[in-house]
Amino acid sequence: MKSPFEGQLVRLRAREVDDLDRYHRWLNDPEVTQHVMMRYPISVAFERNYLESVAPTSFELALFSMDTLAGEHIGWCGLHGSSPEDRSASLGIAIGEKSYWNGGYGTDAMRVLCRFGFEHMNLHRIELNVFDDNPRAQRVYEKIGFKVEGCRREADYRYGRHRDIVVMGLLRGELVEESRPSGAAS
Amino acid sequence: MESPFEGRLIRLRAREPEDEPLSYQWFNDPEVTEFLTLRYPLSHKSQREFIDSHSLPSYANASFAILRKADGAYIGGCDLGDNRPENRQASLGIAIGDKASWDGGYGTDAMRVLCRFGFEHMNLHRIELEVYAGNERARHVYEKVGFQVEARRRQAHFKYGKYMDVYLMGLLEGELLSD
Repeated sequence: MKSPFEGQLVRLRAREVDDLDRYHRWLNDPEVTQHVMMRYPISVAFERNYLESVAPTSFELALFSMDTLAGEHIGWCGLHGSSPEDRSASLGIAIGEKSYWNGGYGTDAMRVLCRFGFEHMNLHRIELNVFDDNPRAQRVYEKIGFKVEGCRREADYRYGRHRDIVVMGLLRGELVEESRPSGAAS
Repeated sequence: MESPFEGRLIRLRAREPEDEPLSYQWFNDPEVTEFLTLRYPLSHKSQREFIDSHSLPSYANASFAILRKADGAYIGGCDLGDNRPENRQASLGIAIGDKASWDGGYGTDAMRVLCRFGFEHMNLHRIELEVYAGNERARHVYEKVGFQVEARRRQAHFKYGKYMDVYLMGLLEGELLSD
């Protein structure tokens, strides 16, 4: 049986207090946080307390640490704000380890996370927000099936300017799985 | 000097405990809640607690009762919440609970007063709101005061046995249309 937490490149798992040093480093790296809803520095104490106090992974808050299949912790992702009546959730994701950018890890993690949301949490809709100056992420989201549903004009302010926030949504059945190499046996 | 809380037809004031009996009636009336996020019945306790926690209007939660100017009757409520000082953005919510006041221009007037207050006194840059597909009357009011449809969140809300799209609308500083 295939694990619901494993893709072709990454594996999702619960967050551990042992992840502290990496989260502290990533969440204080402007190259990482410029694309995330984070503005102020995060202290080690705050992040430790957060990791220690966070509730078990659940429908309400399904947050994961993201490892390579070799076991290196490279980022995080999760589904939050879930509504059981609407069967909808909001998605967040980031690769904190910059040497893994552009390697397909985010795309793979997105597929694993969305598949988990639909097939195990029984969601109907997953949505996300992406800043207008992050076309790379937007391309990844489109590749796996997310559709641009609109744009919240000047909804964010950082780095001295108002940024638009693009709203994207993925409905059950719209997730695009990876294409297999031609000629490969399925 | 013109009061920032007064429009042509309505006036805004802080919520008071005596608003409870009427608002309890309104927000248990499916005709009123059809297009609101409310889904479950409201108890007197929950309504009292809502009023208690929303009766000190402030930047974090600018919540108001709407009164009809002609006779001072309490007819609804509105608020600017989720305010982010860095983004200078707020989310707007409004309901006219008194059905006799529907289609009388009170909601439009309250929207103008609330948005003007948000821009001119809270120094907001952007106000946003959500409205369900099917609530054409409300969307028309929002467009009339200057809100633009910015996104259509497909099948984002489930009620009465079906999924509905949700429109996200935004209004920036300088876009508010006066009557």
